[in-house]
Amino acid sequence: MRPHELTLAAASRAVGARELSPVELLDSVLTRLEEVEPRLNAYVTVTADRARAAARQAERDIAAGTLRGPLHGMPMALKDMVDVAGLPTSGSSRVRAGHRADADSAVAARLTGAGAVLVGKTHTHEFAYGLITPQTANVRDAGRIAGGSSGGSAVAVAAGTAAFALGTDTGGSIRVPAALNGVVGLKPTYDLVPRDGVVPLSWSLDHVGPLTRTVEDAALVLPALTGGEPSAVDGDVAGLRVGVPRNYYFDHVDPEVETVVRRAIERLESLGARLVEVEIPMTRYVQAVQWGLMVPEATAYHERTLRTAPELYAADVRVLLEAGELLSAGDHLRARRARTLLRREWLRMLEQVDVIAAPAVPMTAVPAGQETVTWPDGTTESVSDAYVRLSAPANITGVPALTVPVGTDRAGLPIGLQLLGRPLAESLLLRAGRACERPLTLAGS
Amino acid sequence: MSSLTPGEAARWAARAGLSLPNDRHAVVAATADHIHSVVSVLRELDLGDTAPFHAGETDATA
Repeated sequence: MRPHELTLAAASRAVGARELSPVELLDSVLTRLEEVEPRLNAYVTVTADRARAAARQAERDIAAGTLRGPLHGMPMALKDMVDVAGLPTSGSSRVRAGHRADADSAVAARLTGAGAVLVGKTHTHEFAYGLITPQTANVRDAGRIAGGSSGGSAVAVAAGTAAFALGTDTGGSIRVPAALNGVVGLKPTYDLVPRDGVVPLSWSLDHVGPLTRTVEDAALVLPALTGGEPSAVDGDVAGLRVGVPRNYYFDHVDPEVETVVRRAIERLESLGARLVEVEIPMTRYVQAVQWGLMVPEATAYHERTLRTAPELYAADVRVLLEAGELLSAGDHLRARRARTLLRREWLRMLEQVDVIAAPAVPMTAVPAGQETVTWPDGTTESVSDAYVRLSAPANITGVPALTVPVGTDRAGLPIGLQLLGRPLAESLLLRAGRACERPLTLAGS
Repeated sequence: MSSLTPGEAARWAARAGLSLPNDRHAVVAATADHIHSVVSVLRELDLGDTAPFHAGETDATA
């Protein structure tokens, strides 16, 4: 096995035991990157020289007996919305040409402090305002979308060109690409991971979190981001109350996705979990609240550049930002007030169960260029709306949500199970996720 | 509900301080209409005394 094929946890154990040096690990990752990156295009910038220097320093520190922790010497990728001092934060946008960050974001500083080695910055749908990431190819089928907006981060992890990555999630932007490329994605509780130095899309919905190959890997990255204690991820789900939605999460879902997800839920039951049917509240208002918050917030953030350089935005993003100028303050406030109700109802529902288990997305990765999906009842939905649909509730309510790969469809495309829990229940989600994950082998060759 | 005309979209954008070129009026009007149709569903709710959610109520900082 080549070092880049190791999971983060396995690589970390090998480095800690001095069986593998951070330099060997990085060399393997950079060789892999040369092999697959021309086809996948996950990275905006590769910082190879800087990474080699950091890996050599990690090697010296560890040889001298100073192991900082499980991320020391581990190659990472950061979504190009995350500031790293001295590097551009492009947001994968021409608007940001010439940008250079003055300081590290809080998360970049914490990960650097933990000894992680930056391989580079990964592509996002422009300014995280979309679900496609058109620059990047799906790791399992280059003719299909990577998903977004953290598409580059998901593909880098799935291809073995980073041991772990960070993404941001405003309406599914960690979980959607994680599910579509067959990796683990964690959207933590709102405000648990600091957003300082991360380009916002919508302040009140934005979250920062890890993308990894396994649940065990995610459990290693989370404490480095939060400063909290590591979680035990032993996969023990005996007695766990698992909520299975009777509405919303299995409506307008591809039958193959539903079958694989329900099989994963049955695995939880066979391991001792108790399944409890739950009714998801206020589903009619999810999209309205999501848009009523996100659209004006995104327009507000981009106010200045929308006036000085509108032609530099991609067409899909530009028109949303422009139309956002026309949404009234009354509509925005109504969304904020409805959010209070929606969150209250969700917390009430979550008193009945420990976690909720559901599909991460309604369908696997669609071919690049496909704009709509038509469901068996004749309903047509935009691809972006479909991918956001099952993600947005966790952004609106702020509850943690984890997606784990649990299988593939007949075409070999990954399917993700989403686990949601009460605020700050990340360790419970990781435990349940560990019990039913089916990690996929590296792809992208 | 009547839809926004391209001219109205341009006027409303101008009031917000955004001058839209002529070739943007129709597409912005159509997109704003769509957003409006999605968000207007919230008018069904009786929000009573409900205050807007604000980040200070979040769990991680509580």
